[in-house]
Amino acid sequence: MSRHPAPEELLLDYAAGALPAGPSLAVALHVALDPQSRRTVDRLNALGGALIEREPVPQVDSGLDDAALDRVLARLGEVPVEARPAPGARRHKAFDWAPAPLVPHLRPGMDWRRVLGQFDEIRLDLPGDFHRVSLLRLEAGRGLPEHKHAGYEYTVVLQGGYTDATGNYGVGDFAVGPGSVRHEPIADPGEPCIAMIVVEQPIVLTGPWGRWLNPLVSRGLI
Amino acid sequence: MLSADEAADLIEAIATRQDRAAFASLFRHFAPRVKAFIMRGGADAEAAQEVAQEALIMVWRKAASFDRTRASAATWLYTIARNKRIDHLRRNNRPAIDTEDWLTVFAPEDADADKSVLAGQTYTRVKELLGGLSADQLVVIEKAFFEDKTHTVIAEELKLPLGTVKSRIRLALGRLRDALEKDEP
Repeated sequence: MSRHPAPEELLLDYAAGALPAGPSLAVALHVALDPQSRRTVDRLNALGGALIEREPVPQVDSGLDDAALDRVLARLGEVPVEARPAPGARRHKAFDWAPAPLVPHLRPGMDWRRVLGQFDEIRLDLPGDFHRVSLLRLEAGRGLPEHKHAGYEYTVVLQGGYTDATGNYGVGDFAVGPGSVRHEPIADPGEPCIAMIVVEQPIVLTGPWGRWLNPLVSRGLI
Repeated sequence: MLSADEAADLIEAIATRQDRAAFASLFRHFAPRVKAFIMRGGADAEAAQEVAQEALIMVWRKAASFDRTRASAATWLYTIARNKRIDHLRRNNRPAIDTEDWLTVFAPEDADADKSVLAGQTYTRVKELLGGLSADQLVVIEKAFFEDKTHTVIAEELKLPLGTVKSRIRLALGRLRDALEKDEP
C-alpha cells in the first residue's frame, strides 16, 4: 500500500486527459504501481463514461449517419482485431523495473549517463512537452545535490526507495515537490533507487513571451 | 438505447468473431455521443467527428483487451476517446505519440487486488451520482472532462482559490467512492 499517493486533484487532471505528456507519464507510472490510486482513476474513468453516455444525441444530422458508418466499415478490412496481450508481455528486457506505461518511451540503446559523479540519469524526450523528464538512479546512501526549482516537481519511485525531510518513499510512491522547498533526497539501503522525476523548467519566465522562451532557457541547463 | 450488458456483449462479439454487425450497433450508439462530448470542449464538428470515428476503430482493434469485469463499455470507450483527443491535439503540431499504449495500464496484468471495481452493474450508480453532485462540484468536474483543463487552470478561470477547487474535487470524489463502494464486495 502506498504511503504517498498522488493528490486526488492530480488524478482528476490525469483521468480527464488534461496533463502535459511529462506529468501525465509520471501519474501513469504511479497509477500502474498503486492499487488505491488505480481504483480512484477507474472511478474517474467511469465518470467520464457516464458523461459520454449522458450526451444527448442530436435528432438531426450528426454527421455520423449510415454513410459515415459504411465508410468506417470499409476501413475495418485493413484493421486487424488484435489478440489480447499476454500478462507481463510488456516488460522491458533490460529495464525490468519499468512499469508498462514507461516501456514505449525506452528506446533501443538508451543507457544511464553519469552526472556530477553522483547519480545516473536517462533523459526522456516527450515530444510537445517542455517539462524535463528524467529517470534517475541513486546507489544506496547516495544523495542528489540539494536543490530547488522555480516550478513544481513530480517524483515517482520505480525501484528501491529514498528519504528526505518530508518522509520515506518506496516503490509506487508519488511526491509533489513545491518547487521552492529545498530538499536533499538520500537513497535507502538495498538496491539502487530508481525514480522518474518531472520538473517544470527551473527558470520560468512570465509575461507574453515566457511561453515561447522557456523551452529555450531550459536548453542551457544540466 | 443500449444497456451496459448489451454493449459489453457487442464488444466481445467483435473480439471473438470480428462481428461487423456488432460494430455497427456500437458505432450507432457511441459515435454521435463521443462526437458531442468532444465538441463540448470547443473542438469543431469535423475534428470531433474524426476523433469519434478513430475511437470506434480503436474499439474494433482492441476489442480483445476489453474486460467487462473491470470497466463498462462506456468507461472503456471514454478512455479510448480521451486518448484519441490527446493524440489529435498533439498531432496538430507534432508527430503522434503512441498514446494507445496507455490503454494497457488498466489491463489485467495486475489482476491481484481490484477486479470488480466498476463492472457494468455499478455503472448506473455513476450516472445517478452525476445528478447528486452539487452545482459547484459539477462545474469543476465538467470543466475537467469536457475542456480537458487542469484544476489549476479551472481555479484561474472560475476566479477561485486553488484550495476551494481542490476541496470541491475531493468532495466530488468522496461521493463517487461512496456511491460505488455500496456495490463492492
